[in-house]
Amino acid sequence: MSVSTVSKEQFRSFVAALIGSEQTVVGVQAKNDKFAFGPLRRAEDLRLDYDVTILSPRKYLLPPKETLLNFQVAGDSQTVCDCQPMVLIGVHPYDMAAISQMDELFSQGEYDTHYMNRRQAITIIACDVATASANVFASSMNTATVDSGFDILLTDIGGAYVVQADTDKGRALVKKMAGAKPAGADDMAKRKAVQEKNRTGLNKHVLECKPAFLPKLLEKTYDHPVWEDKARLCYSCGSCNQVCPTCYCFDVQDEVNWDLKTGSRCRVWDGCLLENFATVAGNHNFRKNRSARFRHRLYRKGKYVPSKIGGQIACVGCGRCVSACTAKIANPVDVYNTLLENTEIG
Amino acid sequence: MTKPRVAIFDFACCEGCQLQIVNLEEEILNLIELVDVVEWREAMSEQSHEYDIAIIEGSITRDEDVKRLEVIRSRAKVLIALGSCATSGGVNRMKNSFDLNEVRTCVYGRDGAMPHLNTRLTQACHEVVAVDYKIYGCPIDNAEFAQILRALLVGKKPFIPDYPVCVECKARETVCRYEYDEICMGPIVRAGCGAPCPSVGWRCFGCRGLVDNPNVQAAQEVMDKYRLTVDDLKQKMVLFNTK
Repeated sequence: MSVSTVSKEQFRSFVAALIGSEQTVVGVQAKNDKFAFGPLRRAEDLRLDYDVTILSPRKYLLPPKETLLNFQVAGDSQTVCDCQPMVLIGVHPYDMAAISQMDELFSQGEYDTHYMNRRQAITIIACDVATASANVFASSMNTATVDSGFDILLTDIGGAYVVQADTDKGRALVKKMAGAKPAGADDMAKRKAVQEKNRTGLNKHVLECKPAFLPKLLEKTYDHPVWEDKARLCYSCGSCNQVCPTCYCFDVQDEVNWDLKTGSRCRVWDGCLLENFATVAGNHNFRKNRSARFRHRLYRKGKYVPSKIGGQIACVGCGRCVSACTAKIANPVDVYNTLLENTEIG
Repeated sequence: MTKPRVAIFDFACCEGCQLQIVNLEEEILNLIELVDVVEWREAMSEQSHEYDIAIIEGSITRDEDVKRLEVIRSRAKVLIALGSCATSGGVNRMKNSFDLNEVRTCVYGRDGAMPHLNTRLTQACHEVVAVDYKIYGCPIDNAEFAQILRALLVGKKPFIPDYPVCVECKARETVCRYEYDEICMGPIVRAGCGAPCPSVGWRCFGCRGLVDNPNVQAAQEVMDKYRLTVDDLKQKMVLFNTK
């Protein structure tokens, strides 16, 4: 680990030079009164003071629609792997945690070449949160700060950034930051203060237990009335899934070309709240009720996915689902706290 | 292999959905490589009584429309309803909320009583005959039309979404109209359009009609959370009769 300090002005020059290089540079920018990740055209558009982006950077690792292969009808197929070198600037710790989870999930079992190739082509410049969003609860989920997964981690300490490079890719980039000097004790103390503050301060919704306790809690609550109570107002619109940095489920669709002899197989985002998510051949839907789908999402986050990745809870507390849910029922903390109130855990 | 014979017919509508097919422009050449278009009033003069696939645009608003559609159905192996008017009755269906004599007088004045202006309650195609496939939208999306047609020609079930427009708004990072305390039909209306209207600050107008299983309970109760009323919502539903 090497830690340096650069002034904001020097960092901006570095980003400007990066934009002029061959790789795609994606960063957080204002989008009307919100923020979103998008291709950076000018260094001054980068907004590392943002609170939360509408979608997480998942959209660059697992695009809303991607071609997996081209095929000949009743014949061969050719894998398509479209991945360009990319630098992703401004990933918050909770989103970094989500990416690290997806890295584990897509590389275990059936290795997902499409995801992993794209992941390896991406250099991540993460940054500590400078502004808390309206619904963030990362402090509750232990994801308010992050210590791995990124190539570089930036912390805003006022007039400058503390820059931690953790990988060869990261260190190579720091070498290009003109004016970067080893971080002094004073800068490190300021960084520590920012991170300590975030560890408790990004907590607009307070989970009343340690996240590690959730799998155990959920063992006892499958038939709890909260599922029906909340899901009564569920539109099944899948907004909570779409904005979630850890939702990675997809549907696979085939499209044929005009010659009717060739076509392509695409994967597109799916969502377990959508009515037909669990519809299979023969038109049987094994999660037909809204409440079953509503429950499934919170079991995925708190129990099923954790069992695949060493107990890590698959809700990182970004709060996007809380904001995106039109019916205002998606807040995981609300649901988990309700379960805690009424459930005795031996 | 002989090419399937396709005929396109229009009923009560603006013919904008047919125009969307014309708007495929050079891709029409690909289309006619695959099918024999034997009747299509908007684009050609020929007519035919023999076809495999009938594509119906427009809603059914007169007694003679019913007879004509029944004949088409009896001749076609596959019948596709094209666009909002054909799939739901469309804008034309607004008249069903009024007395039909009043409607005739309002539109045609004194001539409204003439027999050729007879009118009946507007119906969608599937309310009159069996419909095999529905292509939604006002107007339809021609890329989606082409994709559905190709799927059918290759013998594959076409993908036609049955999830709300919210899915497509989220994917393109459009901020929800409800965040600005405005009504939007998106949470109960079928997607597939790519959500262009909310992306430029409009609400979803609901042209694709409701999803198969809309949460009516939610639609009613959620309005309170945004200082809106159920009546506000119902008013917006009149245009594409999604009440």
